[in-house]
This record gives sequence, structure tokens and C-alpha cells, in this order.
Amino acid sequence: MAGASSVPAAEDEQGTASSGAATGGIPGPGRPADPAADAPTVLVGDSLPGGDRLLVENPALVGDPALVGDPLSGGERDPAAGQRRMLAGRLARGLGELLITAGIVVALFLAYQLWVTDLFAARTQDRLHHQLDQVWQRPPAPRAPAGDRVRPAPLPPVDLGDGLAILRVPRFGRDYFPVVVEGVAAADLRRGPGHIPGTAMPGQLGNFVVSGHRTTYGKPFSRLDELKVGDPLVVEVRDRYYTYRVTGSEVVAPNRVDVTYPVPKRPGVAPTKDLITLTTCHPKFSASHRLIVYGELVDTTAKSAGVPPALRGE
Amino acid sequence: MYAWVYRHLPGPPRLRLTLAVVAVLAVVALLMFVVFPAVETILPNGRVTLGD
Repeated sequence: MAGASSVPAAEDEQGTASSGAATGGIPGPGRPADPAADAPTVLVGDSLPGGDRLLVENPALVGDPALVGDPLSGGERDPAAGQRRMLAGRLARGLGELLITAGIVVALFLAYQLWVTDLFAARTQDRLHHQLDQVWQRPPAPRAPAGDRVRPAPLPPVDLGDGLAILRVPRFGRDYFPVVVEGVAAADLRRGPGHIPGTAMPGQLGNFVVSGHRTTYGKPFSRLDELKVGDPLVVEVRDRYYTYRVTGSEVVAPNRVDVTYPVPKRPGVAPTKDLITLTTCHPKFSASHRLIVYGELVDTTAKSAGVPPALRGE
Repeated sequence: MYAWVYRHLPGPPRLRLTLAVVAVLAVVALLMFVVFPAVETILPNGRVTLGD
């Protein structure tokens, strides 16, 4: 008989069909007592609750014309109605699966932002530290004469995305030493805090401006709001440590480019001090404002003289 | 959708399961390495610099 022969075939295809369904097509004394054995009846247009569920869970059984036409499974019902119900069930299931998938993708994106980008950044920072070590071990390129000022000449230019200096902030702990890269394009900031090109280099007269991520990619500037006036910010370059002290901080609108001027908020004024300005987004996970921390150079230490006092006091 | 994919995977259940896991991992990798990095540039918390 067609039903009996087709059901085991369906079990093969499903691999997981229940034994009740497998015996469903075989008429026997125990059959009416077995709820699963009634499944084919439900499939062809019965209004029992759960009929749709069975219908979509066993599409192999449903789709078998031999089963639908089986007189034992209610062949007197309208087959077109069963088809419509089957289609509706499939659509509902497909929509549900899409929504669940969307939810999972959003959750994955959250995990990506909060943790996976940190892994990327940690690897990149390791590489940058390595490269910086190598560059700093090579003899320095000849520098332009320092002019009449008795101060170190600016650092040689660095390619976009390459390491420029190492930032150390004692308040953030001994294990905080991100490599500052040149450039603030998205690709540069993924590598580390970025120096805005065109602003002063560390130790150069003017404003050394560095922007960094607050919540992703290693979140180097996550704790910028914890800095207090007087906190040291140490910038390490090839042969020197520049020690800045925090002089203040503020939250500004994102369009306040003037905080990056050589003398912040004073356009056209010639700088007389070496300043540092750190910028990041504020509040966390938002683009509505920027958190700005200002600092001023207080000490320049040659590496041959050992680490600067600000780092020794940890 | 997922049942359809699973039914169209070849081989015995063990192989199908392996293939399904590999497919899921491939999709996750595509998201993590291609889709998410492209999408995040339009998100606000990446904007840390000043300008318009």
C-alpha cells in the first residue's frame, strides 16, 4: 500500500522522524491511541491546533501525494485548502526564521563592536610596537638644522597609519602604552589613537592633537574622563620622553575644530607653548559630543637619562 | 529556511552536521571580517575627531 511504503522513505530523508510517524501509515490495533499516528490526518486540512506546526515540521510527509490521497488520512477534505494552509505555514515559519536570524546578527554585531574589534586592535598594536622598536633602533635620519631655537627638531614625518610615538598615562596603569599612529581616518584609528596630520608633533611648538576610540578597537581613550588636572601624560619617541601635565578638560560639540588649533580656541594666535590635546567621543557610544583633554609640556627627558619621574612614581 | 538548507546538504547525518557547522562559521567570519567593518563606519561611536 502506498502510505505504508512512502513513510519509511520519508523517515530516511528526514533522518530524525519519530518512530510514531514512521508507523503512522500502517493500520493496526494500537493506531488510534497513538497521537503521532494521527499526524497525517491533521496535515490535510484539519483545524486542530498544532496542525500547522506538524505540517511545516514534516514537509516531507506533507508533500507526499500518496499520503494526501490516502483514504485513511481524510482524503475527503479539500486538498486546495491544505495547500493554502501549507503555504501560509511555510511563510510564517520563514518570516520567523528571518527575524530570529536578524536578532542573532545584531547580537553578533554587538559582540563584534565590544570584543572582536579589541582583538583586532591588540594584534595591530603588537605589530606597531614591533615596527616602532625596529625603526627606533635604526640610526635616525639626518634632521634639518634646529635653527636658532635650542630645542629638539620635530620628528621626521611618518606615513599615515604608521606608529609615531608611545603614549603612557600613569593613571591608566602600567599596562597602558598604546602606539599613537599618524592620521585619523577610520583605518588609522582602528590601529590606535591617531595624530591629526598638520598639528604639531610631540615636543614641537604648537598643539599635538591625538584622537582615539572610546568604546571599540582597544578603547584607548575609554577612561579619558578620569584624568585630573596635573596628571602626567608621557609621550615616548625615538630618543626622548615628553612629559605633559593635564591642564583641563571639557565637553564640546563635534564641530569645534578650534580646540585643535596651535593655541586652542585662539585662531591665528602664534603658539608659545608645547601643548597636547586628546579628543574622543562623548558620552560613550554616542556621537553627540566630544570629550577634550588639554595638557602642557612640562618636561623633556632624554632616554639616556632613564625613564622620566612621572613614570618612575608608579 | 534552515530545514531546507539542512535537507539539501549531502551525505549522512554526521557529515551534514559538520557541513552545517562549517557553513555557520563561514557566515560568522564573513560578518566579522567584511560586513561589520563596512557597516560600523556609519555608526556614531566611531566618530572621535572634530569636524562637520
